[in-house]
Amino acid sequence: MIIGILSLLVTIVVFWVAQKCYSYKRLLIFSPVLLTPAILCTLLIVFHISYEHYNAGAKYLTDMLQPATVAFSVPLYKNARLLKQYAIEIIVSLLCGSLLAMTTSMFLAEWMHLTPEMINSLIPRSITTPIAMTVSQTIGGIPTMTAVFVLFTALVGAVVGPLLIKYGKIHNKISKGLLLGMGAHGTGTAMALEYGQEEGAIASLSVVLAGIFTLLFSLFIHF
Amino acid sequence: MKKLLNIILQIGLLFAFSIIGNGISSYLHLPISGSIIGIFLVLLCLKCKMIKLKWIEDGANWLLAILLLFFIPSAVGIIQYKDVIQSSGMRLFVVISFSTICVMASTGWIAELIRKRKGKAL
Repeated sequence: MIIGILSLLVTIVVFWVAQKCYSYKRLLIFSPVLLTPAILCTLLIVFHISYEHYNAGAKYLTDMLQPATVAFSVPLYKNARLLKQYAIEIIVSLLCGSLLAMTTSMFLAEWMHLTPEMINSLIPRSITTPIAMTVSQTIGGIPTMTAVFVLFTALVGAVVGPLLIKYGKIHNKISKGLLLGMGAHGTGTAMALEYGQEEGAIASLSVVLAGIFTLLFSLFIHF
Repeated sequence: MKKLLNIILQIGLLFAFSIIGNGISSYLHLPISGSIIGIFLVLLCLKCKMIKLKWIEDGANWLLAILLLFFIPSAVGIIQYKDVIQSSGMRLFVVISFSTICVMASTGWIAELIRKRKGKAL
């Protein structure tokens, strides 16, 4: 019980500190999604605390993913105008993106002889965590692993995205937002906002839509 | 203080939507999570003017701003799969990196292509 409350508090504090570090110096290793789990894992190992004990308290944070997912309705509603105006670009590129994310992950993982459980956990890796974990569960993956793969995807996307935009001759605001939102979900949206308001809005739209498209595609795997 | 209370109430409202969504999902045996149904319920309510955007906007923005915090516990869960990471970490790295580059490049280029075509048509 005490360990539970403590782990909840420590998680929040470590995350807060990591965020401060990251806003002070934008280095990838300071990224809160990388630094916080790394520190917490080290603490668990050093103090011989099992994940079950840790999660007894920390799970309340995971529960917050539910209202947080519903919260995506706000950017969706507010950017309905952009969605209408660029409907073809958005829908076509995100449908292709979602399908490619799932198929390339699946075939590459199969080619590399990863276990079926891992393959299923990899398939939804390119969408926002709450939706990815649901999809993972439905298609027989391990949601916790998917969460880690999603995180890792965001990190790779954060490195690759700006390079692709620069050297891949992506000039359009809409394309930039779509590329970042589809490839690096939450982190991508934050990065897109650094390019501009419109890029950010498109990216946040992409995160929700890519999630929904992937969810729909996954139903075909399911049945 | 009033602002904090406001945000808590708004998060409560969003929570209510996800609970209703969960109810619908389990009642109809849908393979879609309740929070996704919740998104559409909120959109529907906003469209029908049953709720106002300002009733949820601050709470939603607050949740989305710290979204990353909510999946830290899941990420720490990797500790349970130490062996897997040791044995297949490198392969996972290759799959994720290659697939991400593929996805980003094609999404960006497809959007760019359609924009150019539209530009010509106009």
